[in-house]
Amino acid sequence: MIALRDKLQPLAAPICAGAIGASFVIAMIVWMTLSIPENKVGLTVNFYDWMAFGDFRVGFSYFLDSLTMIMLGVVCGVGCLIAIYAAGYMKGDPGYWRFFTYMALFIFAMVTLVTADNLVLLFLGWEGVGVCSYLLIGYYYDKPLAVAAAKKAFIVNRIGDFGFLLGIFLCYQTYGTVEISVMLAEARENVAALGEGYTATTADLWIPFLLMIGAFGKSAQIPLYVWLPDAMAGPTPVSALVHAATMVTAGVYLIARCIPLFELSPAALPTVAVIGGCTALFAATIALCCNDLKGVFAYSTVSQLGYMFVGVGCLSIDGAVFHLFTHAFFKALLFLTAGSVMHALAGQLDIRTMGGLRHKMPVTCWLMFVGCLSLAGFPFITSGFWSKDLILGDALAYGLNGHSVYLFVTLLGVVTAFLTAFYTFRLWFTVFMGEEKFEMGDEHHHDTPETPEAEHAEGDEAHHDHGHHDEPHEMPWLPMNAPLVPLAIGAIIFGVLGYKLHWFENIITHSTADPVTASLASGHGDGHGYGHDDHGHDPHHAYLLGLDAHDFMIILSSLLAIAGIGLAAFFFWFNRALTAKIATSLSPIVKLLENKYYIDELYDYAFVQPLRRLGGLFYVVDSLVINNLIALVAWAPSMIGRGVRPARSGRLAAYSLSMVTGIAVLALLIFMAVAR
Amino acid sequence: MSPSLFLYIASVLGAAALFMLMPKRGRDLRILGGLLGAATLGGLWLLLVPVFLLNDQGVLDTGFSDGQTPFYYVFSSIAVCAAVRVITHSRPVYAALWFVMVVTSSAGLLLTLSAEFMAFAMLIIYGGAILVTYMFVIMLATPPRSENESEDGPDYERFASEPLWASAAGFLLLAVLLSVVFQPMTKNPQAAALPDQEVINTTLADRGETAEIAALATPSGNAGEALIDEQGETVVNESGEPVTVEPLTNVERVGLDLFQSHPLAIELAGIILLLALIGAVLIAKTQIYNDDEDAEPEADSAAGEEAAAT
Amino acid sequence: MTSLLALSSPMLSHYLLTGALLFVLGLIGFVSRRNLIVMFLCTEMMFQGVVVTLVAFSAFHGNFTGQTFVIFVLTIAAAEAALALGLVVLLFRRKQTLDSAAWSSMSG
Repeated sequence: MIALRDKLQPLAAPICAGAIGASFVIAMIVWMTLSIPENKVGLTVNFYDWMAFGDFRVGFSYFLDSLTMIMLGVVCGVGCLIAIYAAGYMKGDPGYWRFFTYMALFIFAMVTLVTADNLVLLFLGWEGVGVCSYLLIGYYYDKPLAVAAAKKAFIVNRIGDFGFLLGIFLCYQTYGTVEISVMLAEARENVAALGEGYTATTADLWIPFLLMIGAFGKSAQIPLYVWLPDAMAGPTPVSALVHAATMVTAGVYLIARCIPLFELSPAALPTVAVIGGCTALFAATIALCCNDLKGVFAYSTVSQLGYMFVGVGCLSIDGAVFHLFTHAFFKALLFLTAGSVMHALAGQLDIRTMGGLRHKMPVTCWLMFVGCLSLAGFPFITSGFWSKDLILGDALAYGLNGHSVYLFVTLLGVVTAFLTAFYTFRLWFTVFMGEEKFEMGDEHHHDTPETPEAEHAEGDEAHHDHGHHDEPHEMPWLPMNAPLVPLAIGAIIFGVLGYKLHWFENIITHSTADPVTASLASGHGDGHGYGHDDHGHDPHHAYLLGLDAHDFMIILSSLLAIAGIGLAAFFFWFNRALTAKIATSLSPIVKLLENKYYIDELYDYAFVQPLRRLGGLFYVVDSLVINNLIALVAWAPSMIGRGVRPARSGRLAAYSLSMVTGIAVLALLIFMAVAR
Repeated sequence: MSPSLFLYIASVLGAAALFMLMPKRGRDLRILGGLLGAATLGGLWLLLVPVFLLNDQGVLDTGFSDGQTPFYYVFSSIAVCAAVRVITHSRPVYAALWFVMVVTSSAGLLLTLSAEFMAFAMLIIYGGAILVTYMFVIMLATPPRSENESEDGPDYERFASEPLWASAAGFLLLAVLLSVVFQPMTKNPQAAALPDQEVINTTLADRGETAEIAALATPSGNAGEALIDEQGETVVNESGEPVTVEPLTNVERVGLDLFQSHPLAIELAGIILLLALIGAVLIAKTQIYNDDEDAEPEADSAAGEEAAAT
Repeated sequence: MTSLLALSSPMLSHYLLTGALLFVLGLIGFVSRRNLIVMFLCTEMMFQGVVVTLVAFSAFHGNFTGQTFVIFVLTIAAAEAALALGLVVLLFRRKQTLDSAAWSSMSG
């Protein structure tokens, strides 16, 4: 049995990756051949009724439009590449099969989330990815840190899910259905009629805020972002897939999907944008002084998610989804290369111990360079640049058109863009440039005493079990480096293609995420906002200093990105001594940033400790009052039992006598009652 | 003096008499108990006959044809006395024989009720088959007499377990039953029962049965009279002669009722008998190891060892 | 003395009296006797009381269902005798006694 298990275990990865790859192919075929009915924006496929009570019906029904399909493409495509990478990364781990089981379950839940036609099914997927996230963060369950991080992620997500659930209830109460397509159609009409005769009801005002809480929890925005950096305790492929590329974007997806609901409430979208902008800047500043390799990327993820929220907040849905798309590529690339570094250094994560690794791991070095360029928004050739620019340009144009709050958001975004370029290359220069130095970590999860032959057969000569080696080395091409190449290519080319060819505008206008307000303003609104071929983002056309807002933003962010990269190169490549000196002189700020603004401590003091004390009080009440009450309940029958025990003598005569007496007395009582 | 008071006094006296008659430790009061019991029974009847059997004109009206009434008293007395002996006799064989007496006398009671078939069925099945079974079992299951045992048999035969309480509870129940039997209930005019004749006619009409059957099932039809249907015309047979009412025997009436009204009950009774048969076979096949001598398994193993040795 | 109304007929009450007596005597016997066989004999005597009652009602009401049910009573009595006596024999073979108190350890 054990031998069989050992033989079957390596199959977990191919099965998982193959299944995800197959679903990617199927999703793409479906997208190519999808025939949307006339006057409809998407196709609803109902498999069967899940539950039905009275008027409340929830089906296992799926909704396919272009937004769904692009999300499916991201989830399955990136998921497949990461699964292939993980096949190498997780090799030799005792929970190999467990990891891939969770991965497959996660992909299932995520696909359910993005394809669901009703909010309840969406919530099923939403909770499903939450559970998988919990399981995967706590994957190394023998590490207290990982377990604590898993619990933290789960509990913080509960807060968000609570809001989301309330939002679902309110939606049902308001619209009488939980089907998204039906609900959105009604919301669209309401938005269209917003100026003329329709005033937003209280429910209309509250629904977006409740949904927003859910989105903020899942997508790690202020104030619920604290779980995501800790979630890096999970295996790195998980960080890449769940906590960078797919799950954390579910909040963005939710808002994009339900954008008409948000348009009904005048304060909702500005709130989203401001929170997004603040989170972007806030996380970027923390990332500046973060010394944890994965931590930097975690905060940059929070920061980039902030951009996406800015995107949906200024009705630049195409920008948000575009950024979601490109971010999935370059952030997955960054995480996976970081995983390679970590792997090579046996779990070492502190970038202060690293330096000059470019000679040891050239492929990883340059792949990560591509990812860093894209994250930093290096002008013109990286996709991160174009998608970020689309968001910021739209935000600026929106701001210039009279929504002054968006000017503030744009400012936040621009500063963040500069910081992003700086901290990204701070990391890269520190790790790969300068003089060569490294310290091996203490993790030997690559040791595989059970299957050493299999490992040698699988990898090339560089692929030894380096628990016994003291030298970092390059990862093998298969299965680890090869899947990174498509990600790197995606991190480069999709930007300019997507921007110039208006892919995402087309995708969004053919989905329910098409904002009604923009369509109305552009004069193409047909009441439902569906079916534009040429998309005019008129409110997004504005001029600053004689330039179109987008062109202005291209120039500005190019300059900032190059400046940030140059500054990082100066401080962390050429002149590290000066950096240390400056850091010492700024030590209070550095300390503040290194401790992440003491937010965790603040939350601990403000929420955790009071709750803990309350729990202690309840414990006392429970142990003194409740326990004794329960003991009394148990004690009374035992006393009664002791009293009547002699009656159970086992003597037939006694039993029959008591029976006869009972019958006689009963008959007497009945007779006395009847014979009056 | 209310007649129900007689019943209560009689119940108390009967209980006392039965208690004295019970086999138990202490002084032997059986003769006294017997006398008291006989006096109670006789007194009860003596007092109740004038109350119940004399109609308003002071004429004896039992609802029987003349000459039957005394038989009731004879059979009833024998049945009750025999029943008392059944529960007081310390030898199971005698108890069973006294039970035959009970069965016989109650069969006599059934005869006075003109239920001849039932009377003989009782005699044959109860007095014959079932009692013979009991006799067999009593003889099969006679424990070997131990040395310290008295001549009257083992203790559990000689001493009743709870004579006082059993008599008290039993006669309390008897008093209640007799109160119900002899005391008029508050009458509900709506609940008044329809005359039997009407019930029979309506049920038969509902079942779509002919006047012929109705007449057969009607107990009041007089033998030899011409049968009259509901239209008031004489019912004729194929050859045009009037159909006359045949006198029905008790067996025929019981048979008609049984097979017309209770077909399901017959099936169920058959199933119960079958189950009892299977159960009896199973019980008979059950292998029993004696608790007192746990030697059998050891004997088996010893036999096994012997077999291994040879 | 005031005349009491019996249920249907004056004589019926007398038969019911006999039936009730037989039934109650059987009941008392079941309670007070300790021999398992006699205990079952006493249940048969309770049946006798019921039979007398049924036939008396049947005769005085002109309804033969009462007599019909005697047949079922006989059926049940026969089945009971077969099974109960079989069990009694089993118990006897187990303990070599018919005392019902010998089985008080069955109280669990």
